[in-house]
Formats: sequence, structure tokens, C-alpha cells
Amino acid sequence: QDGLKRCLSEFKQQLAWVERLDVTSGQVVDPVSQSASNKDAIDPENDFQREMSFYRQAQAAVLEALPRLRKLQVPTRRPDDYFAEMAKSDQQMQKIRQKLKSKQEAMERSEKAKQLRAMRKYGKKVQTEILQRRQKEKKNMLNAVKKYQKGLSDKLDFLDEEQSSSQGNKKGSASQRIKKGPNAKRRYKNQKFGFGGKKKGSKWNTKESFNDVSSFRSKVAHNKGPGKAGKGGKKALNKRPGKRARQKMKSRAR
Amino acid sequence: GKWKNKERVLIFSSRGINFRTRHLMQDLRTLMPHSKADTKMDRKDQLFVINEVCEMKNCNKCIFFEAKKKQDLYMWLSNTPQGPSAKFLVQNIHTLAELKMTGNCLRGSRPLLSFDPIFDKEPHYALLKELFIQIFSTPQYHPKSQPFVDHVFTFTVTDERIWFRNYQIIEEDASLVEIGPRFVLNLIKIFQGSFGGPTLYENPHYQSPNMHRRLIRLSVAAKFREKQQVKEVQKIKKKGSKVLIEEDPTEVVFETPAEEKPVEIQLVKPESKPIVKDKKKLRKIQRKKQKKLFRTE
Repeated sequence: QDGLKRCLSEFKQQLAWVERLDVTSGQVVDPVSQSASNKDAIDPENDFQREMSFYRQAQAAVLEALPRLRKLQVPTRRPDDYFAEMAKSDQQMQKIRQKLKSKQEAMERSEKAKQLRAMRKYGKKVQTEILQRRQKEKKNMLNAVKKYQKGLSDKLDFLDEEQSSSQGNKKGSASQRIKKGPNAKRRYKNQKFGFGGKKKGSKWNTKESFNDVSSFRSKVAHNKGPGKAGKGGKKALNKRPGKRARQKMKSRAR
Repeated sequence: GKWKNKERVLIFSSRGINFRTRHLMQDLRTLMPHSKADTKMDRKDQLFVINEVCEMKNCNKCIFFEAKKKQDLYMWLSNTPQGPSAKFLVQNIHTLAELKMTGNCLRGSRPLLSFDPIFDKEPHYALLKELFIQIFSTPQYHPKSQPFVDHVFTFTVTDERIWFRNYQIIEEDASLVEIGPRFVLNLIKIFQGSFGGPTLYENPHYQSPNMHRRLIRLSVAAKFREKQQVKEVQKIKKKGSKVLIEEDPTEVVFETPAEEKPVEIQLVKPESKPIVKDKKKLRKIQRKKQKKLFRTE
């Protein structure tokens, strides 16, 4: 060990720093990763960590050296018009640039393909929606035509819906009467069974129809509200007696 | 300015190097304008012949690449007339031509040298640091050099090895791109003289590549041998040592023939067993019954 030290002292050259340009430094403290004090914890097997530690060491050296160089008036930046031979030939740099470009293109292509696939899926969905909407419109239109044929509505307003109801009130009153036309019950049945006959495959009891309590009138069901005649009349007619009671009534009546 | 620091480095190799080493040598020659090239040295010459070659070329430093067995590459760094020299095993060589290293620098520009703090802690590292500085730094105002400082060599000690990297300085805020080449040096020995002389330091962590390969082969062989041994043991176990117990004559005493049971023919279907869904519950009930009985007894 002493031999080493002796040798070193003999061998060491006393040159100005400018000649040697050496910097011994720790690393730039990275806010994300460990500081320079934990350098021993760097796992040499972890390539990325190792290379990042080298990079940081170089950075620290550069940050330390550049001001010194500037003070000593050694130029560090190459002016843009200074053309000289580079360590790697232009051909080599061209190759490198090509490789980088091709990699980027490949990535872009894969991204585009992914996007295209997503778009196609969405497009398909939209298309089916549009088709369904068109079919519905067609159906409505046909129904309206049939209605007109059956003479229920003399207005041909289904042909162009943009026409506003500016027909005037006289015709409006006549049409209103016709609009009411059939009974609510009849209308309901027409809508359900339609003019084209019974609708194919429509179930009687689906979950929705079962859960649909919109036609429930609480006062009607519990016989609570005022009778049809208003005051005075009892609504005994609504409350139909049961089978036994009716039979008894019949037999009693006989 | 005047070129004062007359450092000249001779970079050459022995015969039998492969393409990667050759490219590395060429890269070093391009990066160091104060270097000189020489033809390949014949293997049969002794190493101290190199000193004479250097003197003929008027160089005072030398980088000599030695390839053995077409596999291992050794690098000698030496200060030729009388100074110290060091031998390294070189691994993980990547040359300038590799496409992943995108940086570039002026040919002959002076490098900044960056060292790990570990280099100041041990005397052998300090000596190596001095050697590196003198060899790798381009003298100022060298005729072939460019006056700008636009790249930095880093020497880092990790995992008992010295890692070398070369980065290009792009911006003043120290954003760097790697130029290459890169290699890893594994120190073997430091000698007092140039290519000879007493050994100043020997690296205890160094394992020669031959030894390394041998160990791998041995471990593989050992695994195989272990498997064979296990098989042998299994064979022996299967074959023999079925202990024959002698017939004991007194055993006959305990033999009592059982009574013959009358042959019962079932004509009626037996009652189906009640399906027990919860055996535990049944057991619990049974236990409680037993306890009750026990208490009443």
C-alpha cells in the first residue's frame, strides 16, 4: 500500500487543471430517486438504475466544470457555423436517425391500428342505432298512412313534419273532434294490436308491463274518490261483487 | 496557444482480436487525437518489447489490447518509460457504431473527465485515476484537437468494476446524450514498472474468465452428478432390505376360528336410511342424549 502511495506521488503530474479537465463529483441529486449518499444501494444488476447513476454523475461533473471553463475562457459551445469533422460520420448519424424514425413510425402505426379498431367498434354501434331509428320512422310513417287511409285524420301532415300547425282554428276544431275519434280504450287497443294485425311475438306479461303501474288509479282501486255523478251518487257500480255474491244475488232475485 | 503538454498515447493490439475489439480500438483512436496507431504485435514477443515500440514511436503512454482464446480481452494501460501499468479484463463492449447511441461530438474535441468519489478513497483507485487522467485527457492546443469541450467521459466504480461511458453535452444545463463507446474494466493487477516489475496491487475480487467458465461447468456437472446419485439411492432402496420376519410359532395360540354366521336372505327391502344433512348436528344431538342418560344414571 505504501508502495502504491509512493508510486503515485512519483507519477503524479502537476499540471494546470485546464490541461486535465478532470472532475470528481458525486451525483446530481434527483428529487425522484435516491440522493448521492445512497449510492451504494444502487444495484448493479438493475440496468436502468445503474445507467441513470452514471448519467447523474456526468451531469454533476458538467455542472461543476462548465462555469470553471467559462471563467478560464475555454469555449464550450460550438457556434452554429463551425463545421468540422465529427467523431461519427454523417452517414452513421443518418443511419441512427433512420432507425429512430422507423421505431417511431412503428409505434405510431400500432397506435393508429388500435384507434381504428376502437373507431370501427363505435361506428358499428352507431350504424345499428341509425338503422333501428330508420326502421322505427318507417313504421311510424306507415301507421300514419294507414290511419289516413282509414279516414281518421284528413290531414296529410305526416308527409312533411316541418309544416307547423298553422291550419287555423276552424279546421282545428273539426280535426280535434276527429282526433278524439275512437275511445281512449279503442285507441289503446288499436295501438296495441295495430292495423297490421297482432304484432308478432309481443308478450302479454313482460317485466316492464308488469312493473308498469301508470294506469293505476288509487282512488278507483280503493273506491275512495267522488263518484261519476259527483256528489250524491254512490259508486256501487264500480265495486263488482264477487262470484259467490253474484250467484247468491241471482238466485235470490229468481 | 502553445501546445505544452506533450502526451502521446500508443494504441494497438495483439493478434487474434475480434471485430468488436478492433472497432473499439478504432473508436478510441478517433476520440483521442493525441493517439498513435501501430501494427499488431506478434504473440511470441515478450511484453517488455512494447516499451521499445513506444520509444520508437515517441509515445509516453500506451493502451495495449490483448486477446486470449478469441474470447477474453485484456487491456493494459501503461506509462511507458518507467511508470506504473495496470492490466484489466474488458467486458461489455459497445462501440461507436451502435445505433442506440445517438450522440455525436467533434472529432478531436477535448473531453471532460468525470470520476466517482470512490476514486479518492483508496490508494489504488487514486493511482488509476491519475493514469486515466493522463491518458484520456487531450492536451490543450494539440494540433489535431478542437478547442471546444463538448463531451464527457465518466468513470464509475460499481460492483468492484470500473464502468466507462461517453456522453455528449447538448445544453449548458447538462442535458446529455450517450455517444459511446462503452466498456467495463475489471482490474487484475497494478505493476510498478511498465508491463512488468513488482506487483503493487492485486484485485482480490478478480476472477479470471477461465476460472469463471470452469466454475459454471463444475456447477452444471455437480447438478448432474447429484441427480445420478439420487437415482442410485432410489434404486438401492427399491431392491433390497425387505426385512423378512421369521414365523413366530407361538402366534398360533391366539387363533380362534370365528363362528359361522347363518346365511340370511333378505326378502323385504330394508328401510332407507334417513338422509342426514348435517352430520355434526346429528352428532351433537346424540352427544346431548348420551349426556342426559349419563346424568340420570
